[in-house]
Amino acid sequence: MTAPHNPRFAWLTDPGDRGLAIMLLAPLALLVTLIVVYPVLRLFYTSLFDHSLTSGLPPRFVGLQNFGLMLDDPTFWTTLKNTLLITLVTVPGALIMGLAMALMANMPFKYHWPVRLSLLIPWALPLAFAGLIFAWFFHSEYGVVNDILRRFGFQPVIWFNSPGWSMTAICLTVIWKTSSFMALILLAGLQTIPRSLYEAADVDGAGKLRQFWEITLPLLRPAIAVALIFRTITALQTFDIPYTMTAGGPGGSTATLAMYIHQNTVSFLDLGYGSALAVVMFLLSMLVTVLYLRMIRARG
Amino acid sequence: MASVSFDKLSKNYGTSQVVDGIDLDIADGEFLVLVGPSGSGKSTVLRMLAGLEAVTSGEIRIGGQRVNHLQPRQRDIAMVFQDYALYPHKTVRENLGFGLKVRGIPGDEAQRRIIDAADMLGIAQLLDRRPGQLSGGQRQRVAMGRAIVRRPQVFLFDEPLSNLDAKLRGQVRTEIKRLHQALGTTIIYVTHDQVEAMTLADRIVILRGGAIEQVGTPDQIYNTPANIFVGGFIGAPAMNFLPARIAGHVAHAADGLSFDLSQLGAIPQGDVVLGMRPEHIRAGSGAGIDFSGIVQVVEPLGADTLVHIGIGDATVTARLEPTQKPKPGQRVQLNIAPGHIHVFDAVTERAML
Ligand SMILES: Nc1ncnc2c1ncn2[C@@H]1O[C@H](COP(=O)(O)OP(=O)(O)OP(=O)(O)O)[C@@H](O)[C@H]1O
Ligand SMILES: [Mg+2]
Repeated sequence: MTAPHNPRFAWLTDPGDRGLAIMLLAPLALLVTLIVVYPVLRLFYTSLFDHSLTSGLPPRFVGLQNFGLMLDDPTFWTTLKNTLLITLVTVPGALIMGLAMALMANMPFKYHWPVRLSLLIPWALPLAFAGLIFAWFFHSEYGVVNDILRRFGFQPVIWFNSPGWSMTAICLTVIWKTSSFMALILLAGLQTIPRSLYEAADVDGAGKLRQFWEITLPLLRPAIAVALIFRTITALQTFDIPYTMTAGGPGGSTATLAMYIHQNTVSFLDLGYGSALAVVMFLLSMLVTVLYLRMIRARG
Repeated sequence: MASVSFDKLSKNYGTSQVVDGIDLDIADGEFLVLVGPSGSGKSTVLRMLAGLEAVTSGEIRIGGQRVNHLQPRQRDIAMVFQDYALYPHKTVRENLGFGLKVRGIPGDEAQRRIIDAADMLGIAQLLDRRPGQLSGGQRQRVAMGRAIVRRPQVFLFDEPLSNLDAKLRGQVRTEIKRLHQALGTTIIYVTHDQVEAMTLADRIVILRGGAIEQVGTPDQIYNTPANIFVGGFIGAPAMNFLPARIAGHVAHAADGLSFDLSQLGAIPQGDVVLGMRPEHIRAGSGAGIDFSGIVQVVEPLGADTLVHIGIGDATVTARLEPTQKPKPGQRVQLNIAPGHIHVFDAVTERAML
């Protein structure tokens, strides 16, 4: 090794392990700061202000007052409840549907592409588009769902007149839309399980159901955890499908937290309160992620 | 324990026939080794026997019972896979016990068998580890243990040693032989390693292109290869082949080289291929058939010396005493006992003597 000419720049030519690590990570750290850390900090900051663009007044620091308002805001509680309901129903729903689809797609079909393509289509469809299509499916007179119900001798349902049926329609649509993404992640997980494990289990005497419980499910656990994290966070942010299907109706009974944030910031231009709501949503997502990661670590 | 038989067993993948009408009877308690080059259909035969691959035509019987239509789990066989196929999320104990659990063997009986097998294989101290925490050799033993605890009718091994280093391979090979002596269960063992085949087998089956080239004891296969392929496949270094034409009692090879075959019994005539094993060629002129050639390369191995000798266009390898250290370029005198010369038909490649 030759000594560097200028000792001031010695760290550039011979940075050492630590220095090299810092240099290599710096660009990424900068990027993350710009697109993640800064906006989040800004969100927290704004949530501490009374900042309404309609009032014409300059932003005023109010501390945690926005969060206090929330506690007495029935709409906040309704939208939070709806959001959690959609999450609790559609996350397991999409997991089970997605797992079923992934298992089917992983079967030894002669041609794989039709199966894989049919998995991709719901995923590739824009959310709002899915909402619009399914709004038609559930239309009380012309919808295919009621048509099927009638053919099987059931009473047709006026889906969007009752909060319960509206929520059911929304949840079914969300499950349909999101299970294909679950299926794609789970399919990737399934394909990492060596075939010889199933052959060994065949020879060992285990039937197909037993193989599913004893081999597939345990080995799929990491993929399931990843799928659940993604799905839960997007479920907490549910917006497009209820927005296009019911616009939160009837009577605000299907509005979600994301829709309420949208309403406060975009329609009411109340940036302070909207930011405070968004902070709540952010904290919920963080909580979920931490819980799942804990779960993976505890098991692994 | 049970016998196994194949009756005109065939397998096609689409239009390509990878197993071509195999007839074979394997006795109860026999150690049978299937050997052959890559792609010769060894694994396919084994997997059809295990029930992991459908039979295209022909019949498989275990203990006299036709099993073509039976699921793997109904055949009462155990298999050791090349990649071991251990369940990565289960401990060694659970891996060994899985086959017992699904077959409803009661817990204390299962534990006893697991302990017995683990003791036999020297893995008793590893029972609570997972496969990821084991060395290759230990994994291999667990895979064998999983087969042993089942006490099946037949053990199937598909190249079980190919992922081990040379030293370990030798060790485990001996253990497998000991295991067979202790258990007496029928074993069908696939390998492409001729040393494994020779050392382990009661009988060897040599496969090529999905068909049987020869079946016999290691002795028979080594001493009386049925054709040029078998002669060249078994033995290391491989048998030397010299094209020759026999007229009367003399075989004329290239470079004016001739072998006097009058000491042999009935002498075939016409175009032949002579086969000589390197270990049967001796230095000097003596009691056998004399010939000579130019030394090309000398490889001392310690226990003996391999000498590659040019005879006309052909190269002959001789395994000589370690005291023999000829120099490249030197002419050496060699001889071979007449009983050690194999004569194959040049056209059919089948042994004539
Ligand atoms: N699923 C399959 N589809 C088509 N051809 C196959 C399939 N499985 C095996 N083959 C072909 O069958 C032939 C025999 O394969 P097999 O695995 O039995 O060979 P092998 O003797 O075990 O070889 P190796 O020593 O490499 O393991 C090969 O030519 C192989 O390409
Ligand atoms: Mg093979």
